[in-house]
Amino acid sequence: MVFDQSSLLLQQLVNGITLGGVYALIAVGYTMVYGVIQLINFAHGEIYMLAAFVALTLITQCHIPFFASFFITIGICGCLGVVLDYIAYRPIRKSPRLAALITAIGMSIFLQNLALILWGGQIHSFPQDVLPKIFTKIAINFSDVIVTWLEVFILCVTVCSMFILHYIITRTKIGIAMRAISQDKVTASLMGIPVNRVISFTFFIGSALGGVAGILVGIYYNAVFPTMGYVAGIKAFAAAVLGGIGSVPGAMLGGWVLGITEVLGAGYFSSEYRDGISYAVMILVILFKPSGLIGKPLPQKV
Amino acid sequence: MHDLQWKKIVIVILVLLLPCIPFGSSTDYILRILTTVYLYMILSLGLNIVSGFTGLLDLGYVGFYGIGAYTAGLLTIHFNLPFGVIILLAAVNGAIWGILLGVPTLRLTGDYFAIVTFGFSELVVLFIRNELWLTRGPMGISGIASPSFFGHSLSESWHFYYLVLVLLSIVLVIIHRLEDSRIGRAWYAIREDEIAAQCCGINLVKYKVMAFAISASIGAVGGAFYAKWFTFIHPDMFKFWESVLILCLIVLGGMGSIYGTMLGALLIIPLSEVLRIILPQYLMNSRYLIYGIILVIMMRLRPDGLIPFQIAQSQKNKHAQKRLFRHHETYP
Repeated sequence: MVFDQSSLLLQQLVNGITLGGVYALIAVGYTMVYGVIQLINFAHGEIYMLAAFVALTLITQCHIPFFASFFITIGICGCLGVVLDYIAYRPIRKSPRLAALITAIGMSIFLQNLALILWGGQIHSFPQDVLPKIFTKIAINFSDVIVTWLEVFILCVTVCSMFILHYIITRTKIGIAMRAISQDKVTASLMGIPVNRVISFTFFIGSALGGVAGILVGIYYNAVFPTMGYVAGIKAFAAAVLGGIGSVPGAMLGGWVLGITEVLGAGYFSSEYRDGISYAVMILVILFKPSGLIGKPLPQKV
Repeated sequence: MHDLQWKKIVIVILVLLLPCIPFGSSTDYILRILTTVYLYMILSLGLNIVSGFTGLLDLGYVGFYGIGAYTAGLLTIHFNLPFGVIILLAAVNGAIWGILLGVPTLRLTGDYFAIVTFGFSELVVLFIRNELWLTRGPMGISGIASPSFFGHSLSESWHFYYLVLVLLSIVLVIIHRLEDSRIGRAWYAIREDEIAAQCCGINLVKYKVMAFAISASIGAVGGAFYAKWFTFIHPDMFKFWESVLILCLIVLGGMGSIYGTMLGALLIIPLSEVLRIILPQYLMNSRYLIYGIILVIMMRLRPDGLIPFQIAQSQKNKHAQKRLFRHHETYP
């Protein structure tokens, strides 16, 4: 099949939007946790990886249907995030930030190697017969631009998750509590907000969304391996920084911008430096506009 | 003062004892492990300058290690320069990259600094992997000639044992002198409170860039030795996990404490060798699990490490310490 230039570009855009949506889902987890406790949760990428493994195990070993295991996995991942906060981050919440950062790195390595021990280092894939048949069918075929139902599904899940999240943050009581804590933890606790419980909830939501992303990517590339969370985690962090860390709409925007940039860069510039594009974007944003696309500049406290 | 004398005795014993190890009954295997321990001592002392003395978490240290290793490898393959020249050039190249990384990241602190250095080291690995014309990419560089002195090529394990011991001693002396100097005190001041340090007239740009350059060049020297010793280098040897391992050494020993970082290397590197023997082949890499647990537990129970920096400092110069920590009573 011969692609002409414009349909190639369109096809790349479709891939970029799919990938960007996944980055956005992971980035939201980073940015929410950063918003409430100012910590880069390095272990977030590992939760994304564990989600893919848990879903794979549920489907292939326990023979639970796809959509049921999808929701069970999301629940498990959310709980995992809460446990992570409880055993690793809560005890050192009053320590210097460097200590929290090192703990996060330690947890990330721990979880990644735990997955390596439990599932082995080889690349696992979802057997084709367990996934819904419709995923591989073509949804839209517009002058050689092919969009599969899987891509439509990923986009729908991403957008729905974003809307649910937006609703939780802006309309519900716990969302308001989250925003209050991100403004000022001490004052929020004086106003009667159960700070630790709200932080746990934040971890739950962030990790659940990371879990959604993990399953989606696991199916999309049909490859699940222990180091998948490390690269994706950093790229999602790059997306969060690009949008402005601490800002949820920023993370969504950053995810899409980064996904599209990466796919176009890999297509037209150099596919070997695919990961490098994300790192370079991240470094440039941190150096020249640390507040990101739509974040507020941070005042320097003396 | 009693503690100081005790420490001096230990140092004298070590200085007398360490060079004698190859004459004892030790096998090649033990010597190789000890050489690795000393190599990691060099690396952790280098990382300690930025992360311990200056207080910035450098996650990309392995980038400089890789730069040093490839500098040495390529210079040996193409020009076959003498070992001393190669070590010097690797150090200079490391320093150049340290400055190139240091200057743009001057304003950054904490998490953003960590993540930019991480990105740097990943870019270094990507470059090494993809620029085949220079680095032979994923094939790695093999057959790097061993260093030779006065016509004799080093080949036995004990040759390298002495070589790395000499390098370690040089690095140790340099860092000791730096720690006691005006530069070292400026670094501590920056670590304790950057803004206060600036108000005291410390030139942040100068001292931070200096810290990056020295730290990077020590890392590059470690890499150069590694390339000459192992005679084979590969992009996968310089991945992020290596940075984490070195970070783990200094966190365990005590960030900022020279003896602490050396103790960290002495404890963890043999541990990883033991794990290499115990663990089955397919679980080899999972020994990093232990490093992760060590990082988490140390931060929770003993964030200052086994030999905390503060004690090391107070034994040496109580007066300077009082002056340094005056504005920061709550430390640690």
